[in-house]
Amino acid sequence: MKTNKTAIRYAINTIALVILMIITFVIGGVDNNTIKLKIVPSVWQCCYLIIMAASLNLVLGFLGQLSLGHCGFMAVGAYTAALVSLAFQRAGVYDEKKGAAFMLVMIVSILAAGILSAVLGLLVGIPALRLKGDYLAIITLGFGMIIVNLINNIPFCGQQGLSQGTASSALYANGLGFSNDEKKGYMYVAVLAVILCMALMFMFVRSKFGRIICAIRDNEIAASASGIDVSYYKVLTFVFSAFFAGIAGALYSCCNAALATTSFAFTNGSILNSVFIVVMVVVGGMGSLTGSIVAAIGMFLLNYAIKNGTWVAALPGFLQNVFTYPMLVYSIALIIVIMFRPHGILGTSEFALCDIPKWPRMVASHFHKSDKEAEG
Amino acid sequence: MKKKVMSALLATTLVAGLTACGGAKSTDTAASQPEAVDTPVAAETTDAESTEAAPSGETAGTITLGVIGPMTGSLAVYGTHIENGVELAVEQINAAGGVNVGGQMYEIALNSKDDQGDSTECLNAMNALISDGVSLVVGSATSGCTSAITSVANSEGVVLITPSGTSDSLTTQMDYVFRTCFKDSFQGELAAKYAADNGYTKVGIVYCSADTYSAGLRDAFTASCGELGVEIVAEESVATMTEVDYTNQFNKMASAGAQLVFTPFYYDVMGPYLVPQARQAGFDGILLGCDGVDNTETTIPDGADLTVYNDFMFVNHYATELATSEVSSYFVETYTEKYGEAPNNFDALGYDSVLVYKAAIEKCGSFEAADVQAALADTSVVYEVASGTFSFDETGTPIKSGVLMGYSYDEASNSVVKTAVQTLAVE
Repeated sequence: MKTNKTAIRYAINTIALVILMIITFVIGGVDNNTIKLKIVPSVWQCCYLIIMAASLNLVLGFLGQLSLGHCGFMAVGAYTAALVSLAFQRAGVYDEKKGAAFMLVMIVSILAAGILSAVLGLLVGIPALRLKGDYLAIITLGFGMIIVNLINNIPFCGQQGLSQGTASSALYANGLGFSNDEKKGYMYVAVLAVILCMALMFMFVRSKFGRIICAIRDNEIAASASGIDVSYYKVLTFVFSAFFAGIAGALYSCCNAALATTSFAFTNGSILNSVFIVVMVVVGGMGSLTGSIVAAIGMFLLNYAIKNGTWVAALPGFLQNVFTYPMLVYSIALIIVIMFRPHGILGTSEFALCDIPKWPRMVASHFHKSDKEAEG
Repeated sequence: MKKKVMSALLATTLVAGLTACGGAKSTDTAASQPEAVDTPVAAETTDAESTEAAPSGETAGTITLGVIGPMTGSLAVYGTHIENGVELAVEQINAAGGVNVGGQMYEIALNSKDDQGDSTECLNAMNALISDGVSLVVGSATSGCTSAITSVANSEGVVLITPSGTSDSLTTQMDYVFRTCFKDSFQGELAAKYAADNGYTKVGIVYCSADTYSAGLRDAFTASCGELGVEIVAEESVATMTEVDYTNQFNKMASAGAQLVFTPFYYDVMGPYLVPQARQAGFDGILLGCDGVDNTETTIPDGADLTVYNDFMFVNHYATELATSEVSSYFVETYTEKYGEAPNNFDALGYDSVLVYKAAIEKCGSFEAADVQAALADTSVVYEVASGTFSFDETGTPIKSGVLMGYSYDEASNSVVKTAVQTLAVE
């Protein structure tokens, strides 16, 4: 009976993913300005934000370690993918951004980005993960800053290389940087990357490793007394998480023609920085991968709507003024979420299509419980 | 539960009240703009004409200009000033009847977007503008952001004029990208020329090798010094543009006997760190910066010895004192009247971008992007605008002059004053 239920769940999820891919292909084929200029870039940005948030959730939510330098891994991935693709282009492997050769180069670049990030994750993780709590946060924060400065000062990829000027347009014309049309054509790559990454992360969390790292999170001493090699599993999770951050970086370099290290800093003007990724994880729910997806898409839409939405103009004047200060809106949204859902939108539970019929009962019981609490 | 709801409500009300009182500018969309034009804010003389002209339906339609800049965030000063300049120009043009396109008068409407100084946001803003049907764009403020949108402008066929993106390569490969400021290599050349003209034969350089702006200027300065026979006796680099200690570097400058040190940094480090430390290290020659040094007066710490800011010069785009043409003085006058302060670089360059668009549209008699691009690409056209008179070179960069400005300690007011010294030009 139980296996039967699991099979149905798998079947439903597979069908849902297939439908998602079909929609992606259909959208990729439509020639429409709104789709090309607004929807497709948004999908790309959501894709890398989702992978970033979910991969940080492995470390923050499941392993219980605060890492503040996650964007450092993304920067490594972005620059690696860009440089690898440019190297292939200069070696004459492909001329046009289509065909089998280019597909292969793209896959190689994306994997290379993930692998190099993972190697860096290993180098950082071995010394860093002997520390706990605040100290780990500080060392990862330092790592994020060091990486940015290192990249800035490497002649062939620093600020002079890829971020500005001719090298940027070279990347755009030749390397992995996609124009709007190419972004539309290759949108399925981004969606597929997200599906694969999320599937791998789910498998990790649901496996023996996932149960071990949750045990470490809940009580390190007890875990170690049960014969778990705590340091080994901590580093393993960190490396695994860094790998996906690298892949997110590769998607970033596909999506944005110009790379600048400020985009991967500890804080900056946009929603892509180490602090905001942590915020996404917390808002979505530490320990809920689907929560990270919801939070990443939610934060992106909030940010996009504030900057480019037409509905802001339709609001009454005094509300419009609030929206001229985007940072204020984020903080209000964050306060509201944390006030009403202290454990994040999804807490530690996962969203599942099969659970949708159960929702009304869950919501009812939630309110029933909170009423009781208020009375008590 | 009730408490939570109440506190959340309270917080939102407070915030709403705060921002409502703040009187922030709402970014109007194109749709609501034409009505706003009817309220005359521009010069009083043209006042009567505009109120008559608008209702009689003399204008054939509107041309929408997109504006992208960092309106919020750490570089908000740049974005808001560009927007101020653009708004002023649009108001004046509309008040005077609009843009003459093949005999018909069109009004200009604005569609502003905030990029927060981030390249991804800048790209989103650009795409949103294109999707709204905008084909003429002014933006963005920094070279980094602008480089993220130049290729989109080119591939989507949208004309982009950046008011202040000085990085050399922004316009070289992109036919649809122009600018109203000079480029970095030219700025370095002007600085070297100043050194040569004033008889400084031994100069030093302190720069940041990791930064495009700083390293680009250093390369241009070094090259020009070589041509002009100025000897570079010492060169030192720092790790970042936000370095706080320059003592070692200036000790070396002083011991190498440099008469002038070239310092391509931004204003945020000049006031509190670089200038005082240079003097403390025993360097008493000329400190020469570039346009990033403008606004240093805002970063001088309280209680600092103000005499150290003597002999501190920088190359700049524009100075209100040296702007003597009719367009410039009209701009300075109307700007001061409207905003209650003197205009800076960004105001003037934003204002100029609109004037350049107007001239190009009137010349080709069309506001289709391809036609405007062709008109702008004509290198023989001379534009007479607020920051000077110029024509574009074949890459879309103005051939124009710069100005030299200097800081000095004024005993009477016990403050550091900024004055325009001379106009700089290369033959």
